[in-house]
Amino acid sequence: MANIRQLDKRRKSVKNVRKITRTMELIATARFKKAMDRAAAATDYTKRITSIVQDIANSGTDVSHALLTAHDSVDAMDMLVLTANRGLCGGYNGSVVRAATVRRNEIKKEIEAGQTRVSGKRGISALRFAGVPIEKTYTEFDDQPSFAAVAKIADELIERYISGKIDRVDIAYTKFISISKQTVVVETLLPFASLAPAASVGGSAEPAKASGTRDIYEFLPSASGILEEVVPASFRARLFKCFLDAAVSEQIARMIAMKSATENAGDIIKSLSRTYNRARQSKITQEIMEIIGGVEALG
Amino acid sequence: MSTDNKVHCIVVTPEKTELDTTCDSIVVPMFDGELGIQFGRAPMVGRLGFGLMKIKSNSGVAEWFVDGGFVQVTREGVYVLTDRLIKPDQIDRKEAEADLDKAMMMVSNSPESAAFKERTLTQARARVRLAK
Repeated sequence: MANIRQLDKRRKSVKNVRKITRTMELIATARFKKAMDRAAAATDYTKRITSIVQDIANSGTDVSHALLTAHDSVDAMDMLVLTANRGLCGGYNGSVVRAATVRRNEIKKEIEAGQTRVSGKRGISALRFAGVPIEKTYTEFDDQPSFAAVAKIADELIERYISGKIDRVDIAYTKFISISKQTVVVETLLPFASLAPAASVGGSAEPAKASGTRDIYEFLPSASGILEEVVPASFRARLFKCFLDAAVSEQIARMIAMKSATENAGDIIKSLSRTYNRARQSKITQEIMEIIGGVEALG
Repeated sequence: MSTDNKVHCIVVTPEKTELDTTCDSIVVPMFDGELGIQFGRAPMVGRLGFGLMKIKSNSGVAEWFVDGGFVQVTREGVYVLTDRLIKPDQIDRKEAEADLDKAMMMVSNSPESAAFKERTLTQARARVRLAK
């Protein structure tokens, strides 16, 4: 028969674990809401940018920019991996790291040069362990990434791309599709594929439709002059969206992981209680039998 | 927009909508100087420079530092898209000077990288100029 005291001790410790995971679930829920609001607030900018790009395209300007044109040969490539600073969020970090390593191995067969940049402590240690050389690490991005910090990275990448140091930039992160669906993707950031930002968290990035009529715009200094600035701005917004997506997905992953951990702890407590009660009952029965046996022996 | 000749001004940054007000007129720093916008301005898309944006309303003039971006004038209002919107007294002088030094050191060996350097320089200079 299992030791009753030991069973009770275990049950108590599982109860404590359940309390902790439950709290973590609640915290993740609150953070998720905040991150979600932030991501939704960020759509205004992308909407406006998209509308400006459309106005330029409507004016009949040839849309071309150094960031939009692919280099003739791809000799060097940078890779950006977005993971979380903290664990306990199910397969969130693992799957990003896995996707990134797979892509990296594919590419390293052909291209030697280029940097690997990793955001998030979990990804940094996992990739170090896998023996991937990491040139730049970022740990300052939490559930609310700031645009200023993201823009710095974007500017660095733009500078490297334009100066010809690199010919391509890939990013591995968890894309937010809906609250119930987030998928790990590896996308090519540069050369910049399309100017229209994809649908974003908290609503699609449909251009803000004004009245039915399209106004004819005056461009200062010129449509191409504006385009020159719109492309980098759009790229920065795109990278920022990746970070926001990753932050929202992380909180969702943690929420789900902690929810199932709490449920699991509940199940364990149930089964432990059952064993404990059975053990206690059988001990009582045994003691009664002993007393009866003693009385009978005396009589 | 109402008929009382007011301008609806909306300032958005990549993070959020920073400002949404109605005012009498707006002065935005363009790439080549300042541009004033009043009610009824023809639709326009313009490139912003780095400098002070002034929003005039009954309660006075509010000044903001605009860190590049665009201005879009539509029928509905004036949209200012900028990376950062801060009060001029919030500019960190030390940081601005460090950025200027860094911009000076940038290598420009192609037309694109020269343009990029020029832009970074102008941005840093504007911040140093306005820093208290």
